[in-house]
Amino acid sequence: MSEEITSSLKSNFPASITGIVSEDKNFSLTAKKEEFCEMLSWLKDSGFDHLSDVTCVDFIEEKEFEVIYHLWSHTRKLRGAVKVRIPRESPSIRSVVDLWAGAQIHERENHEMFGINFDGNPNLSPLFLEDWEEIPPFRKDFNSREYVKKKYYGGE
Amino acid sequence: MGENELEENVLEKEIFFPTMLVPFGPQHPASGHFHAMLKCDGEQVVELIPYPGYLHRGFEKLMEYRLHVQNSMLVDRICVLDPFANEMGYANVVEKAVGVEAPEKGKFIRTIMAELGRILSHITWIGVLSMALGLDSGTRIAWGDREKIIRLNEIATGGRIYPCFFVPGGVRRGFPEGFKEKALKVLDYLEKQLNLYDNLVFQNKTVHVRLERVGVFDSKEAAALGATGPNLRACGIDTDVRRDEPYDAYPEADFKAVTMKEGDGYARALCRRGEISESISMVRQLLEKMPRGKIRIKELALAKAPVGDAHFCCESARGELCFYMVSDGTNKPYRVKVRGPSFSHTLSEFPYLVRGASIADVPAIYWSLDPCPSDMDR
Repeated sequence: MSEEITSSLKSNFPASITGIVSEDKNFSLTAKKEEFCEMLSWLKDSGFDHLSDVTCVDFIEEKEFEVIYHLWSHTRKLRGAVKVRIPRESPSIRSVVDLWAGAQIHERENHEMFGINFDGNPNLSPLFLEDWEEIPPFRKDFNSREYVKKKYYGGE
Repeated sequence: MGENELEENVLEKEIFFPTMLVPFGPQHPASGHFHAMLKCDGEQVVELIPYPGYLHRGFEKLMEYRLHVQNSMLVDRICVLDPFANEMGYANVVEKAVGVEAPEKGKFIRTIMAELGRILSHITWIGVLSMALGLDSGTRIAWGDREKIIRLNEIATGGRIYPCFFVPGGVRRGFPEGFKEKALKVLDYLEKQLNLYDNLVFQNKTVHVRLERVGVFDSKEAAALGATGPNLRACGIDTDVRRDEPYDAYPEADFKAVTMKEGDGYARALCRRGEISESISMVRQLLEKMPRGKIRIKELALAKAPVGDAHFCCESARGELCFYMVSDGTNKPYRVKVRGPSFSHTLSEFPYLVRGASIADVPAIYWSLDPCPSDMDR
C-alpha cells in the first residue's frame, strides 16, 4: 500500500530522497534539508493530515542531528516518517507550523531539549524547564547522572 | 469637586476593563499538576498561556542509561491513570527492534490488562469530569468503582497503580487461579453501574448544558492540532490504532471504534462512555479465547537490539501513544521518544478551544479533553 506513495515521492523529488524503507502499512525515508518542506507539504496534500510527532536524535559521532517527522493519514491508514539530517554546529531547520498547527508545540519542545532553531515558529520559549542554564539536556554530551551529582550532592 | 463637574467627568471618561490574568492551576486539578494563565476580558478568555513542566521527570533521557527490562518499569510512571498502555508500547517497540514476537498467551494477557486499564482510566475520568462540573456524587461513585479494577490489577500483577507487568517478550506472570471469575464478576458489576452513570452523569441536564456546544472543533481543525483518540473520534473521524494497525491480541477481539459527529464536550464524553462498553465486551471475549502456552520469552530481557530504529504506536485511553526507539547495538536504547497523547491535547487543543470561551467553561473543556499532565510532561 505504501508503495504507491513512495513511488510518486521518488518521481516528484528525485534529487532529495535517500534510503526509502517501505513496508505494507508504513514507510520511512531520509530527505535533504533543502526540499523536505515541499515534500511534507506534498504529503499533507496527499492525505497525511495528522502530524503525530516531531522528534530529534543526536548522532554526536556523526556531528549531526536527525529531525524526524512522524505522519499518519486518517484516510489512507498509512504511517510515514520523514527524516532530515542537519549539522550539529548550526542546528537550524524550517518550521512546518504553516502545514500543521500542532507542530508548534512539538518544535518548541525540540528547541528546548536539543537546541534546534525552527525558522518561522512564532514561539520557541522554554516549555518544561525552569531557569535552565546548561546545554540542552537531551543532547548526548549532557550527562544527567553527573549533573545530578553536581547539582544535588555537592559534586561527590 | 462640584456636582456638575463630577457629572461631566463621568460622561467624558471612558470606562474600560483591563485584561485580567487569572491563574488556572497549578494545584492538582485531579490528575496532575498543570498551570496556565488565562488572559481574560471580563468573563471571556482571550488567550490561554500554558506553563507545563511540573511533572517533567525526563524519562526519555533516563531510559538511555537503563536496560530495556528496567525501562519497562519506568514507563509505567509516564501516565499514572493508564500505565498498561505505556508498558504495552514500550514492550512492543523493543520486540519490534529486536525482531521477536511475544508468545500468544502473553499477548492475550497484555491485551486483557490493557483494556481493563482503559476502563480504569475512563471511570476515573467520569469521576474527575463530575468533579469539574460540581457533581460530587458522580466523583464518589466513580472513584469507588475504580477501586474494583485496581483490586483486579493487584490480583493479576501484584501492583495496584503501577503494575510493572508487561516486559519486552511477554508478561511477568500468568493470571492466578480464579482470576477469570473475579474479572467477569467485576465486569458484570460495572455494566450495571454504567446504567447508573447514564442516569446520574450523561443524561443529567446540568451536565448536558455544561458540555453541549462547549469546546467545539471540526474534524479538520482537530486533525491539524494533533488530536487523537476519543477527542478526534468525537469529531467524526473514524480512526483507532487498535483496528487500523492491530497489535498483540486485538485482531482476535470484535469491537468498533465509537464515533460521534458534533465535536463538542458532550460528544467527547459520550465517546468515552461508549468505549467503556466496548472494552467490557472485549475483555469478556478475550478471557474466553485465552490460549495455552508460554507467557514470556525471558531471553529478551537482556537482548541487544541491532543498530537501527523502531516505531510503534498503540491506542491508549487518551489516544495515539507512540514509542520511537533508536538502538546502537547494545541492550540499552540510544534514544527513546514518547509521543504522549496528552501533549497535544493539553498544549495545542486546549489553548485553541478555550479562546473565546467563558471562564466557567474552562474546567469543563479541560476535562472533556481528558488530558493527563504526567503524560504531557514526561
